[in-house]
Amino acid sequence: MTSIGTGYDLSNSVFSPDGRNFQVEYAVKAVENGGTCIGIRTKHGVVLACEKIISSKLLKPGCNKRISTIDRNAGIVTSGLLPDGRHLTTRGRDEASSWRQTYKAPIPMSALASRLGGYVQAYTLYSSVRPFGVTAILGGWDSEAELGVDGQVGNGPAAGAGGKVDDSSTKRGGPGLYMIEPSGLYWGYYGAATGKGRQAAKGELEKLDLAAPNCSLTLKDAVLEAARIIYVAHEDSKDKEFELEMTWISALDGPTKGRHEPVPKELLEEAEKHAKKSLEPEDEDEDEDEDDMEE
Amino acid sequence: MFRNNYDNDSVTFSPQGRIFQVEYAQEAVKQGSVVVGLVSKTHVVLTALKRNAEELSSYQKKVVGVDDHLGVALAGLASDARVLSNFMKQQSLASKLSYGRPIPIERIVNMIGDRAQTSTQHYGKRPYGVGLLVAGVDDLGPHLFEFSPSGMTQEMLACAIGARSQMARTYLERHLDKFADCSRDELIKHGLLALKESLAQDKELTVDNTSLAVIGLAEKDGRKKLEKFKLFDGQDVGPLLEANVETSGGGEGDAMETDS
Amino acid sequence: MNHYPQAWGRPRDDVYGAYDHSYLQSAQPKTHTQSPAVTGTSVLGVKFKDGVVIAADNLASYGSLARFTDVKRIRTFPPNTVVGFGGDVSDMQYLDRLLQSLDIRENYLSSTDHVLNAKNLHTYLSKIMYRRRSDFNPLWNMLLVAGLDDEDKPFLASADLLGTTFSSPTLATGFGAHLAQPLLRRLMPNDEASVKDVTQEQAINAVKECMKVLFYRDARSMDKYSIAVITKDGVDLKEDEKLENQSWAFADQIRGYGTQVN
Repeated sequence: MTSIGTGYDLSNSVFSPDGRNFQVEYAVKAVENGGTCIGIRTKHGVVLACEKIISSKLLKPGCNKRISTIDRNAGIVTSGLLPDGRHLTTRGRDEASSWRQTYKAPIPMSALASRLGGYVQAYTLYSSVRPFGVTAILGGWDSEAELGVDGQVGNGPAAGAGGKVDDSSTKRGGPGLYMIEPSGLYWGYYGAATGKGRQAAKGELEKLDLAAPNCSLTLKDAVLEAARIIYVAHEDSKDKEFELEMTWISALDGPTKGRHEPVPKELLEEAEKHAKKSLEPEDEDEDEDEDDMEE
Repeated sequence: MFRNNYDNDSVTFSPQGRIFQVEYAQEAVKQGSVVVGLVSKTHVVLTALKRNAEELSSYQKKVVGVDDHLGVALAGLASDARVLSNFMKQQSLASKLSYGRPIPIERIVNMIGDRAQTSTQHYGKRPYGVGLLVAGVDDLGPHLFEFSPSGMTQEMLACAIGARSQMARTYLERHLDKFADCSRDELIKHGLLALKESLAQDKELTVDNTSLAVIGLAEKDGRKKLEKFKLFDGQDVGPLLEANVETSGGGEGDAMETDS
Repeated sequence: MNHYPQAWGRPRDDVYGAYDHSYLQSAQPKTHTQSPAVTGTSVLGVKFKDGVVIAADNLASYGSLARFTDVKRIRTFPPNTVVGFGGDVSDMQYLDRLLQSLDIRENYLSSTDHVLNAKNLHTYLSKIMYRRRSDFNPLWNMLLVAGLDDEDKPFLASADLLGTTFSSPTLATGFGAHLAQPLLRRLMPNDEASVKDVTQEQAINAVKECMKVLFYRDARSMDKYSIAVITKDGVDLKEDEKLENQSWAFADQIRGYGTQVN
């Protein structure tokens, strides 16, 4: 940050002589201190997980959810300034609903990422606004079924004149995982991580070899891994308590039937137990009440 | 001399990714007198310390009823709170009009949160200079939310904001485990005692400077029935203070002076 | 040749006479839909002690033409409400989309479960209907909302294209309001007070019988229908039922039209 104080970093939408938009870079700083959030994409679905730092004992446990649902088939988790995250989530919901208005069908994940990416980017263009202080991870499932349009009330003939054409060879739908940065830049991911523990989390995600065509990770494995990775990433700031929050989405024939839902309580508990256990060999002191051991 | 260049407006990030204007707005909350909120399984209580500008002036309004099932306590700029509570009144009425349903608490809290966020992202706007404790009851039971100028809203078991609120928070943390199973009267007692913790040395709770509000679920014929928002102000708080505060320090009226 | 560009490419006045601009204007004021196009006929609803039964046939008529024979006019709203639509089918689809987006908003706006019950939904729908009629652009439907109210008691109410609301232990729209309602009322001699004495089976049978009577007498009906039973445990919706035990013996007695003119 050599150019701090030269005046080019005081306003959004201004380039410095070496071609940087400092306000966007500063917005990234806001994200770097946020709780760790990750997403894992498998053939069978997507898992979103988030480390929710408990800043006060007075907070109601199990409330103040960080992962939101945008439409039935899409979830979002943000790291950074929480109110900015809510703003982006609301925008995502508006996009999804306006897509339904126009196309009478749920929004595809790629389109949602594109719309939200464009929205975030617009906030880097003007000096009258500031960029979003969040990085968002979007996870969802585009339905593989032939969808009736919203509001459809009946069907035509199943075959014959005016009937359906066999298109079973066409491949439809599948999982989607995208990460949008404060600049508006977004990529599709097999495994995405952001927030404070992103480096550790990325390292762990890479070990899963998610991009390999023969990757055998099931959705349940992904849930267990996601929990473990959040716990691993938390190691750096383990003086603070946190809650693990996870959601998932599967194919229509999977456990969530194509809908974005919180991971069921039993599975969440199993994943947490598994995660704590996997940390033990590395650190003898680690056990259920790890925070107390610090003293 | 060092001058902070990054704190002139709410659309400029500092190199550390902070927004100073929002942080300054949060300071305004600390200028306001203390308010306390806490929930049990059946009730939610707000207590507030009112200030008067001078000896002969009236005391400020700290607790505002929004609807039968919903109320807020404020710390900071009262006029900003009025804007927000008027907005909440509108939204609450709209929900009753369109669906015949009292608006869920989390929903309306998110609405004011989103509104506040907007004014932290656009030039020419300023963040709200007020913190709120939103108390309400919906079909999931009683709730307490904290709202802050950043647009951050969080559901709490108990909370205190405003000047010297740290002492009240310490009290609340110490007794946190008891609140859930408290009766209505016990919860009021804890609310008043927590408030008292935050008083300055030479001050005490009186009918003039104390406000208290309760909302709850009353059991009636085996059905849960809303116990509507009720504000105790002025002479109405007298009996509550007598029952809870004076006697708590071991019976003597001057016990409170030595407290905190 | 005329020198003025605005006249180029247009019929020449000296050949065709001056253009009659009155064709461009209509003397009528701006209008909205004045009549429905593709319509569904009756919807029946009956309360019983633990819930509500609601039914409608699967036909959408275009005038007197049986145009679509696989149209589902009973729509569910999670978790426990059912709306039955009579009247214009495209307006029904509009309302259905409105309800879908409401459902998504309801489910996802907050992190916890808040539900709109049948009573809330009926309030909402009746406001929509009234608003649209006040805009002189009504949604051409009469609808029944069935489910449970705040206290988990059976709820059944109607709203029509004028925004009129009405509630009763038995309800019917369209032709059914004339033919089926009197028959259904036999179940409820003491109106609301009788609801507690009516069993689910009685209610279902009464509705099925009325669907049959309607099929006999209503020329815009058909014998395939949907029926939903709503109780505390959820919605049981069957969309492909067929009328059973039909008897057309009475048809012999009918004189005055068709092949038997007298």
